[in-house]
Amino acid sequence: MIQEIIAFIILVIALAFLIRKFLFKKKSDKNCGSGDCGCS
Amino acid sequence: MSLKNINVALIGNPNVGKTSVFNQLTGLNQQVGNYPGITVEKKMGFCKLPNNIKANILDLPGTYSLNASSIDESVVIELLLNKNDRLYPDVALVVTDVENLKRNLLLYTQIKDLEIPTILVINMADRMEHKGISLDIPYLEEHLKTKIALISSRKGYGIEELKNLIVSYKTISSEPCLNASIIDAEYFNSLRQAFPNQLLYKLWLVITQDVNFLNLERNEIRSSFTKSHSDLKRLQQKETIKRYQFINDVLKVGLKIDSSVAKDFRSKLDRILTHKIWGYVIFFLILFVIFQSIFQWSKIPMDFIDSTFATLSTLAGEHLPPGMLTDLISQGIIPGIGGILIFIPQIAFLFLFISILEESGYMSRVVFLMDKIMRRFGLSGKSVVPLISGTACAIPAIMATRNIENWKERLITILVTPFTTCSARLPVYAIIIGLVIPDTYVLGILNVQGLTLMLLYVIGFGTAILAAYILNIILKVKGKTFFVVEMPNYKLPMFKNVAINVIEKTKAFVFGAGKIILAISVILWFLASYGPGKQFKNAEKIILENTKAHPLSPIEFNNAVASQKLENSYIGLMGKTIEPVISPLGYDWKIGIAIISSFAAREVFVGTLATIYSVGGSDNENTIKNKMAAEVNPVTGEKIFNFASGISLLMFYAFAMQCASTLAITKKETNSWKWPAGQLVFMSSLAYIVALIAFQILK
Repeated sequence: MIQEIIAFIILVIALAFLIRKFLFKKKSDKNCGSGDCGCS
Repeated sequence: MSLKNINVALIGNPNVGKTSVFNQLTGLNQQVGNYPGITVEKKMGFCKLPNNIKANILDLPGTYSLNASSIDESVVIELLLNKNDRLYPDVALVVTDVENLKRNLLLYTQIKDLEIPTILVINMADRMEHKGISLDIPYLEEHLKTKIALISSRKGYGIEELKNLIVSYKTISSEPCLNASIIDAEYFNSLRQAFPNQLLYKLWLVITQDVNFLNLERNEIRSSFTKSHSDLKRLQQKETIKRYQFINDVLKVGLKIDSSVAKDFRSKLDRILTHKIWGYVIFFLILFVIFQSIFQWSKIPMDFIDSTFATLSTLAGEHLPPGMLTDLISQGIIPGIGGILIFIPQIAFLFLFISILEESGYMSRVVFLMDKIMRRFGLSGKSVVPLISGTACAIPAIMATRNIENWKERLITILVTPFTTCSARLPVYAIIIGLVIPDTYVLGILNVQGLTLMLLYVIGFGTAILAAYILNIILKVKGKTFFVVEMPNYKLPMFKNVAINVIEKTKAFVFGAGKIILAISVILWFLASYGPGKQFKNAEKIILENTKAHPLSPIEFNNAVASQKLENSYIGLMGKTIEPVISPLGYDWKIGIAIISSFAAREVFVGTLATIYSVGGSDNENTIKNKMAAEVNPVTGEKIFNFASGISLLMFYAFAMQCASTLAITKKETNSWKWPAGQLVFMSSLAYIVALIAFQILK
């Protein structure tokens, strides 16, 4: 049971990361350009 | 004790060793872009100085003057004029090359006139003796009204003295070099009267430059002090002449060159490397050696990484407690990470060679050499830099087009750059070539796999040039430009600069693309491990019933169940849906899934296949390459990755866009969705058609 919970948490993190990455890009100084080129 | 923060701007002409000075000052304390290429925008780093001072060093794009002719140069001017910018410098370091002091000092005098404390950094001092140059530093300091740091960023000397000068920046005179009024006394006096609180030279820049100046009443200034375009140009020319008169007067005493000492090795080498025949032959030979080496030298570390992750995956499956998380780790996460790290050797070698070529000064000769060809195809010599940078990544390459003044040439360069073979294509090429091209030699020395890789780079570059030619005919935009490139001196590449570049680029790949690949691997594992309907849930029962007549061994049974489940999982059903579209190209539904998931980033292709085959593959094969090699078509019994389908895949990835970030940056740079949409449709259609033709001919 605990393995399943952790596995699903990892899935949610992965999904959230990709959604944030490609749909809601965060403005950042640490990328290659002016913040919204999607490359960081 | 808390540190005091100061902002230090590094400014200078291109090729004066500005980035080397930046590296010397900051070491690895850099916040650089995630992607390769020379300075395009703002590059930050920090260094700790004496007296508890922390300097935030800003490496600005190379610029020849404050008369901006490109977006790159505008970045410098906008920062230097906006005191409210959080990066506005407390002190500016103008980096110059001791061999080109006269030309480099033009920018220095302009920055000095903005009354920013400015230190003159004279770089490449190690070459002074060799070139017969001597400098009267106290004289120069007095007449240029500054402090001078004589350094060699290559040899690392003078850096400590420079740090001490930065610390004492408040003692540096902010007196201008040139009185702006001498450009046009009457005009400037009326300007001074109208805006008594503004710096005269700053007002002049507001009037003459087309950049954004905050907190300055641009419209007010322009409406009251408007002049015709030709009058402004005439005054700008007068300003430049006055500045050079000042520089000449100072250098007449402060700089001595004994020409009998100077040696002419450089011009001899230039004659060979930019020769109309030998120049191309040498360039081609260098490329040839690079691609041979990438394959040869990477083989052992790549095999080691691949087998290590295969072992790790097996160990995790055997020793961790059974359950969903263990399966996710052993079949999803470990193969996913392996699919990223396996390409580190090839990427590191590629950037090692590119850095050496850039550092040695050879890359500028290539730009010069290629300009003659580029012009015939509607591109500028300056397009070569983005096209070569594109071998690393299209994103900084497209941003690097900002120094192309002509809009048509810039637009064409933006649109064709994604055809050049970027580092994200390398993992796809490497794995497919390894599978379908024999590891044999022609004439005993030429590795066929290396030749194939080189051919793919040539195809990418050739397609970019051809597409540029077509776009040059189609696009109706006026304008002509002139190409000026500076030939830096030949230098032995500095180990530190090369190492930093290789580390940064490799890190960018692992942590940038790697995070995406890992996240997609996790999602793919779930999609491949679960499915709707009875065909998935009752997989064991179905296989048992189907094999009643011919019972399978336990290993065969497990493999058959895994295949049945994968085929009826969510990802299997998705793959089956698109199979009719991709089967004419020689691909099965598993490759189809890898193509779809790699739309965001090409390198996801290999990681996706690694995950899919880990879930549904044979237990006998453990490395990614072996798993792919073992895949067979269940109907025909033929290998999935054969010569025809392999070449078809190589052609598909050579032409397809498959990069969401490139589309985003094209939209940003062209300020329109029209161009990225056109790019996507054209490149995808071309990829499909070429892959289809390749497979149908070769099958």
